[in-house]
Amino acid sequence: MSWRSTTLNVSFLTLVGWALFLGVLTGRADLALVAVPLVVALVAGRRAVARPRWTLSREMSADRLFEDERVTVTLTLRAEGALPLVELLEPLPPRVRLERGRNHAFFTLRSGEEVRWTFALRCGGRQQLRLDGPHVRLWGPLGLAATETRHRAPQTVAVYPHITPIRQLPRPLRTQTFVGNYVSPAQGEGIEPGDIRPFAPGDHVRHVNWRATLRLGTLHVTRHHRERNADVVLLLDSLSEVGADGGTVVDVAARGAAALAAAYLARKDRVGLIEYGGLLRWVKPGSGRAQLQRLLDTLLHASVIFTYVTRELDLIPPRILPAQALVLALSPLLDARFLRVLTDLAARGFDLVVIAVSPVTAARAVASRSPVADIAARLWALERRAQLDEYRRHGLTIIEWDGVQPLDVALAALRRPRHRRWAAG
Amino acid sequence: MMRLAAAVLVTALVIPALALRPSPPITWLAAATLVVGGAGVVALSVPVVTAGASLAVIAYALALLIVEAPFGPVAAIALGATLVLLLALVHFAGRIHGAAISLRVIASQLRQWLGIVAIGVAAALGLGAGGALLAVMLRGATLPVVAAVATLGAVITVAGVLALLTREDPPMTRP
Repeated sequence: MSWRSTTLNVSFLTLVGWALFLGVLTGRADLALVAVPLVVALVAGRRAVARPRWTLSREMSADRLFEDERVTVTLTLRAEGALPLVELLEPLPPRVRLERGRNHAFFTLRSGEEVRWTFALRCGGRQQLRLDGPHVRLWGPLGLAATETRHRAPQTVAVYPHITPIRQLPRPLRTQTFVGNYVSPAQGEGIEPGDIRPFAPGDHVRHVNWRATLRLGTLHVTRHHRERNADVVLLLDSLSEVGADGGTVVDVAARGAAALAAAYLARKDRVGLIEYGGLLRWVKPGSGRAQLQRLLDTLLHASVIFTYVTRELDLIPPRILPAQALVLALSPLLDARFLRVLTDLAARGFDLVVIAVSPVTAARAVASRSPVADIAARLWALERRAQLDEYRRHGLTIIEWDGVQPLDVALAALRRPRHRRWAAG
Repeated sequence: MMRLAAAVLVTALVIPALALRPSPPITWLAAATLVVGGAGVVALSVPVVTAGASLAVIAYALALLIVEAPFGPVAAIALGATLVLLLALVHFAGRIHGAAISLRVIASQLRQWLGIVAIGVAAALGLGAGGALLAVMLRGATLPVVAAVATLGAVITVAGVLALLTREDPPMTRP
């Protein structure tokens, strides 16, 4: 660390120059005396300061959190030698705002003294939040000299998309072989009553339907439907992006995908993810809390990577996109390549629901308020509605979501054929 | 609070000139000092405050010239000490703006500044006394010597300013 003169020296020297110049000009010794305290201050400011020594450590209250949650940063500064004036500044990454305290502080420490400095950050958007470490600046007397270094201690915090509870989930048309919350047409062990048939050796006594037995005169048992789970694949479109940083259609879609993943996983379903964009990324369908973590980690990095290349769905292995799966596509429907993927999936007979994230709302948030912009937005919304109706006529199940209202509200408008009875989850 | 203290110091800058003679040119210069210095205090801008302080020095020199007052070291030293405190205060206030700071830090800085100013005042008093003694001893021959020394000082000052102007504050991201 080396000490450098600050621009305050220029101010002092300017005044010294004025005083001496006017003193010579007027022949007054008084003006030379005006300069003396300034010269003494300049000399004192350039006095050699002992090599500063300190230790700095930083702790963060969490390494994983959701959007709009708070993380507390605590810095502990211990002076090995005296620090007359030390300045600390922790630069804030984008989409992060100060919730409590300050990220910029001044301290005066004696040798061996320790100070703890705490501030809280609110993380506004999905991101891999990275704090590289605070700038440390030491000031000499009167602020005439300073030295600066950066305490390099990068720490990251994963800020996952916010998960809102969803009750009106799209029902999968087909179930899988594992136990879950959906009533399967197959008969077996379960709690949902099915057909009644005559008693056969091996039937359990508790399955005897006494009312039917009394009416028909012979023993009858009630059969039950099995409760099965379903495979759900979230298809996230990251080919195009509209909107302000932190509120783009990809951010909104990622938020929706996280909420859907959490809701389906809570119903014991297997949930997978395919990010269809410049890169084709996927997570194999799975269940449980670890799977939710995997999905959130993938959603954290979902972003637009520009490409002219059209990725074919054939590249995706069947274990990632099972034929019986319910595919939930989240897309602004702005890129023709993604539309081709959707029509391809529908043509292959996939159980497909498209959640069309409105780019109009996202674009409106960044456009300036003016009558022309309002009319343009309304025209765009009308054009888009007509476009979605056209897709619906081609057999796609589409629901619109503006990203502002809860996804649950948008999903409530979904009408699906009830092929199977639905068991309460 | 810092701005209030700086405003008081800006006001104190014009007192030595006005105390000598509140004539129209000096009053106008004092008013300009207050306006420019006040603007610098409000904006916490060291360059603007420096401009105001320069006007105060010019007003003081003009007052000395008009009045032809006898050598008065007290007012001159007070003016110099006020200039030091004003620049240090405005610079410090600009740095800590928006930062977390405790009263202990402010008290520590104040002690440091007052210590340096006290040394400056003592040095000025010593130089003033020495100068008065030399004036008596070298009567008639002092003017060329003073002029030569002052010219040398002015040259060194200009060189120092140029050297410092080519430097910048260490980079530090402001919030």
